[in-house]
Amino acid sequence: MSLVSIEFIGFVIISLLLYYMIPKKYQWIMLLVSSISFYLIGGTTAILYLIFTTLTTYFAGRLLGKCNKEDKKYADIIKKKKRLIVLVTALLNFGILFFLKYWNPVADMINNTLQVEKISRLELILPLGLSFYIFQSIGYIIDVYRNKYDPERNVFKYTLFTSFFPQMVQGPISRFDSLGNELFSEHKFSWDNLKDGIQLLMLGYFKKLVIADRAAVVVNAAIGNYTEQSGSVLLVAMILYCIQLYCDFSGGIDVTRAVAKMFGITLVDNFKRPIFSTSLTDFWRRWHISLGSWMKDYLFFPMSMSKPFVKFGKFVRKHIPGKAGKILPVSMVTFIVYFVIGIWHGGSLKYIAFGFWNGILITTALLLEPFFIKVKQKLNITDKNKLFYIFQIVRTSIIVLIGRYITRAPRLLAVFDMARITFTNFNLSNVFDGTMMNFGITVTDYIVIIVGTMIMLIMEAIDEYGVGTKKILEKKKVIIQWILLMISILTITVFGICRGNYIASEFIYKQF
Amino acid sequence: MEKLIDILKDLRPDIDIECQSLVDDGILDSFDIVTLVGELVDTFSIEIGVEDIIPENFNSVDAIMALINSKA
Repeated sequence: MSLVSIEFIGFVIISLLLYYMIPKKYQWIMLLVSSISFYLIGGTTAILYLIFTTLTTYFAGRLLGKCNKEDKKYADIIKKKKRLIVLVTALLNFGILFFLKYWNPVADMINNTLQVEKISRLELILPLGLSFYIFQSIGYIIDVYRNKYDPERNVFKYTLFTSFFPQMVQGPISRFDSLGNELFSEHKFSWDNLKDGIQLLMLGYFKKLVIADRAAVVVNAAIGNYTEQSGSVLLVAMILYCIQLYCDFSGGIDVTRAVAKMFGITLVDNFKRPIFSTSLTDFWRRWHISLGSWMKDYLFFPMSMSKPFVKFGKFVRKHIPGKAGKILPVSMVTFIVYFVIGIWHGGSLKYIAFGFWNGILITTALLLEPFFIKVKQKLNITDKNKLFYIFQIVRTSIIVLIGRYITRAPRLLAVFDMARITFTNFNLSNVFDGTMMNFGITVTDYIVIIVGTMIMLIMEAIDEYGVGTKKILEKKKVIIQWILLMISILTITVFGICRGNYIASEFIYKQF
Repeated sequence: MEKLIDILKDLRPDIDIECQSLVDDGILDSFDIVTLVGELVDTFSIEIGVEDIIPENFNSVDAIMALINSKA
């Protein structure tokens, strides 16, 4: 069931009515029933994977909990046992994820390289939300391993944690200590929660249906046929793709958080206005925050603090004096983390290249930081310099745009082709001579995209530099808030792309 | 304590040693923390595990000192 469908809205309304009508102590059961129903509507086989992950991580959590309470006299044996539990559970679950997600892309890669079909493709269907709930569950068992909290004893409550329906499509990847409390506590109906939820829902639908799906029409048509475009058209299509991707993903997360909010549940945010990032590192702190935070806590820190890396760090610090010696080992781990984030997106070579692109740039920036500081001092530039700040934002946007060329190209080699066309056959006049009208949308649609993006950027700027749009809205009279809400519903109904020749497309991050 | 302040100033010359929310305010990021841990391990001959990497242990000079003392 798509998050942008009428069926979904109907499903949420029915669930909400039942949720607030039944005694509060049973609310979590209602959420579980809704979540399982939501999953079953999407297909019956996929739920077996969800059950597998839920049960393996539930029992692993219980075993780890028991180990945490065992006599400290046997600390070494207990630690080994705990590590084994985490290792086996992680291997089983990531094994499934790798198999379903990477078997066919890797088979294609090998067969294409060898020009013979050495490995057969399989009829595999990626279950809804697989990578999101696996990451979430593995995070849970690592937290229990670290004795951060006690494991959940009730298997049904734990199932709700892994299957909570709003975040099944594209995350965010939540933590048990925050989401668990939200899911299992009793929630009174609140008009404020409902109003906040509907406002966020409308913002999400605005981003997705008014901007992203409209931009998608141009992006698919232009890049699908990239060899026939000039550089300027490709560049415009790629900028539209950046807008589409942001509106699609952050819009989807808005819908997810909005629905949760209506149930009285606050989910972690996944975005912090990435358009205002001043560096690529800053961008990754603001984009898909829950994945970055997962990688930091469960990959970056454990790797950096592992014995081999600590030993390596000591060795490097001893032999390479100065700042470089201090940061080289951590830079290497940083590179690995960004490389993993790259391949998290998919099994094709272009995602490996995307991982390299991010990893190399961020690692180089870290290693060259002392040099950049000296240059800035010589040029008398401080971080408070506004022009420098704007330069940083523009520079980061260009770096991100190049990264998007890598992920949006049909395949890795096409990236070089697209870059070549952009630089060698720019032909700016093509943007204005009617070529852009050949991609399935009209001038009005382009105006809607531009105006919609401007509205969104103004709202983000107010959130970034001002008091925040929500606070401004809250100061208005309730009646005005509801009128504005009605206007936004009307805008989405009129300008939303689920009409005429267009069909609302699936969320891009659903495939990840 | 002085050794620790020297290490912190070397890592982040702009650091305010009175600050009580070094991690929460984003003054020390994950990269700084791992670099700092490497320095602490060398300087104070202690072992710091991944389970010690929580914001509360790095939010202030006093908190970091308490962590060092607990490992000594």
